Amino acid sequence: MEEFVGAIWHRLVTRQSATDFADARVDLAELQPQLAPFYRGLGGAPGKLLEAAEPRPFRAPRKLIQRIAGSHRRHAVSWQDERSLRLPPSIALFPERELNESLYLWLTAMAAVTPVIRRWFGDNQRASRHLLEARPGLGKRYREMVEAGLLLRPGPDQLQDDAWVRELAIRRALLQPGSVESLPRAPGDAWPVPFWLYPAPLHDLSVVAEDDSSEQQGEQPPAPPEQVDSARRTARRLDDSKETDGFLIFQLESLFSRVEQVELDRCQEDNLDDDLGAAEDLDIITLSRQRRAGSARVKFDLDLPAPQQDELALGEGIRLPEWDYRRQAFKEDFCLLQPMLADDAEPAPLPEALKPAARTLRNRFSCLRPERNWLRRQLQGDELDLDAWLHLMTDEQRSTEPGACYRQRRPNQRDLSCLLLADLSMSTECGINEHERVIDVIRDSVTLFAEALSGSRDRFALYGFSSIKNKQVRYHLLKNFNEPYGDAVRGRLQRIKPGFYTRMGAAVRQSAAILEQEQSSQRLLLIISDGKPNDIDHYEGRYGIEDTRRAIQQARALGIQPFCITIDDEGSDYLPYLFGDKGYALVSDIKRLPEMLPRLYLNLTGAC
Amino acid sequence: MIKSINTTARYLPQGNEVDLFHHAAASQLPVLLKGPTGCGKTRFVQYMAEQLNRPLITIACHDDLTASDLVGRHLIGAEGTYWQDGPLTRAVREGAICYLDEVVEARKDTTVVLHPLSDHRRELPIDRTGELLKAHHDFMLVISYNPGYQNLMKGLKPSTRQRFVGLSFDYPTPEREVVILCQEAGIDKQTATQLVALGNDLRRLKDQDLEEVASTRLLIYTALMICSGCSVREACRACLAEPLSDDSETLAAIDRLISCYF
Ligand SMILES: Nc1ncnc2c1ncn2[C@@H]1O[C@H](COP(=O)(O)OP(=O)(O)O)[C@@H](O)[C@H]1O
Ligand SMILES: [Mg+2]
Repeated sequence: MEEFVGAIWHRLVTRQSATDFADARVDLAELQPQLAPFYRGLGGAPGKLLEAAEPRPFRAPRKLIQRIAGSHRRHAVSWQDERSLRLPPSIALFPERELNESLYLWLTAMAAVTPVIRRWFGDNQRASRHLLEARPGLGKRYREMVEAGLLLRPGPDQLQDDAWVRELAIRRALLQPGSVESLPRAPGDAWPVPFWLYPAPLHDLSVVAEDDSSEQQGEQPPAPPEQVDSARRTARRLDDSKETDGFLIFQLESLFSRVEQVELDRCQEDNLDDDLGAAEDLDIITLSRQRRAGSARVKFDLDLPAPQQDELALGEGIRLPEWDYRRQAFKEDFCLLQPMLADDAEPAPLPEALKPAARTLRNRFSCLRPERNWLRRQLQGDELDLDAWLHLMTDEQRSTEPGACYRQRRPNQRDLSCLLLADLSMSTECGINEHERVIDVIRDSVTLFAEALSGSRDRFALYGFSSIKNKQVRYHLLKNFNEPYGDAVRGRLQRIKPGFYTRMGAAVRQSAAILEQEQSSQRLLLIISDGKPNDIDHYEGRYGIEDTRRAIQQARALGIQPFCITIDDEGSDYLPYLFGDKGYALVSDIKRLPEMLPRLYLNLTGAC
Repeated sequence: MIKSINTTARYLPQGNEVDLFHHAAASQLPVLLKGPTGCGKTRFVQYMAEQLNRPLITIACHDDLTASDLVGRHLIGAEGTYWQDGPLTRAVREGAICYLDEVVEARKDTTVVLHPLSDHRRELPIDRTGELLKAHHDFMLVISYNPGYQNLMKGLKPSTRQRFVGLSFDYPTPEREVVILCQEAGIDKQTATQLVALGNDLRRLKDQDLEEVASTRLLIYTALMICSGCSVREACRACLAEPLSDDSETLAAIDRLISCYF
């Protein structure tokens, strides 16, 4: 009974304390496809992702009912770092949907013009003012939002003395951005300002996967811990890109002791004395990645096939460069790509289950006939070649022999080479249902693709890849351009298994180098991917994306046409940046991949 | 003498291209103009032709364009066959500026006829008639292309492009583009400024969201529509959104960008 009453009570107070207009709620997910181009159009960094912000704790005076309900302790405020822009997962601040949408747009615009927040109060005012001046269309909505927003802020009844003075300053700054110089001091946090951006939360304390780039380490001397402590005011907020430089290597165990030493940045430069317990902030420290990195290290040690079970490594490996966007330079010879061959795979026939589909596809591909063209100056043909005839007529040394004055329709030889590169990273291990894993579908897709192409005259090669940091990019030869397709290749395809991580840039570079050797006039690099480029060193987030993009651009410069087929539902967030608007296709229902892949190929190569 | 009053081309220089073109003309060197579509390349050539007081012959290239289309061919008349000069041959004979617009659209074997014209020989061999035509003193070859296009089948041969003096074009700076909009469309400066700012927002969407971005030409279209009484938002949508994308989310985003200004 007590429990029951408790539950009702809880529901009651939670509802009472709620400040949301649930009917007018706008979710980030629905607006996201528009927000990303909007952000870029306003000048935001093109590689940046859009993600939902985690709620973070605020110590601001709450209404009584909110205190009773235990709500409003945390707020999902907006912030960004090198990797992504974080916006609230949903907004229901205003009773009208339109205004809630407008708030998303406003925050996105703010983020686009303010890549970094240094002084929360000043920077936000400056950004707002700049936006309102430069884009007068924003003014009307802004005023509406602020007017409605001010009503929701705590009033003098909840705020005493200094806190109220501070609140007044914020209100004035919202009404007239740029008009208030500094933020008056007051204890606790100011009530979150939904129109403004916040600095990145602290997550200084990550365990960083050891970086194999020993050559690079000289550049960045490890930061002595004292330095970290002395930087009280700006308690190091290291974003993704910086923290993975490999100079702060903490053990998991030391994590908690370090937290205690760190000052919290309260987003208010004038307000440091009043301290929120460091422990409260623990949950905003993103532990998941660190954990992943930590466990990953253990995992690959265990998982790496023992040499005798592993595929045959071919040669010493190939050194390839990697693009470091932060330095805007290549790290020469940074990656070691190891071509591998499952040399002990027994030749195998096509699995029964795939036979019907394979037959249809082969038939369909065997009549791949590109558009026809005319052969001129033939001795006989379908039509008179007027040009040739005129030439003959006007030729001074005209001979009496019959002229070659006909033209004949002839199918053009298709002149195309395609390299299929499949992402065989660990993530393909995961199951779609109890019988099948992603890797199984990828294997079937590649197999059917090969069956289809073997029916055509197009030259094709099949490769797969995965990686364990830069020193081991595993590049699996499944079929090269010159090997005929047959049971030997089928056997190798049956042996495909999930590997490790996804250092896509290196694999793309190697594939481009192979394609470059091809004489065909059209060269297609088809990539099957299941997610973002990533690896366990610094190769993740923006770094991996920028390197991959670079590799794609390099391939393009060689006259190769890259195209990506992804099963990652979030692919649209980053693939346009990598492959261009028209350079990728998303197959959201992975079960359809085997059928879609050959179809996409037909579309891409201009036959139908 | 060819210059007629109503064709006088207004051209606002972006940099030192006018000087460079004069030098190239004086040195009898061919010129290559690079830049995105609608940024003023054609207009520049028109303007320079007038400045140099030379006739201008423009050829829009396409993938069916053959060497005969440029050089000439035999035609059949009442009296039998006769030879007719193509536009290139005419320009070479008469001392005109021959402008090959979007030259990469032409097949690579077509552009080979340009080689002997674009180096010190300055001559055009006409196989069909056996004539070896020496270029007129004032003949000048100008080609343009848009390096932004990514197409496997197209592109300028390095051996072709390295015979040219290259000039790079881009969309004019905002200040200049505002002036151009005011001049070309007669729109007020304030609206022009907003349009140009919007245009620059849209240009940031290049590659990732849009294949082609808002050109100066499209901004002028928008301004013209507005001046003829169309509502600003509708004009923007019709000239700056719809021609650039078919994707509904991208269109929605462009719409949002438009409403940041108007
Ligand atoms: N510098 C300029 N001065 C005057 N008008 C310009 C200038 N640049 C572009 N324009 C305008 O833009 C339009 C499109 O330019 P155009 O020369 O046709 O582009 P392109 O040949 O590069 O595709 C022109 O008709 C002209 O009205
Ligand atoms: Mg033009």
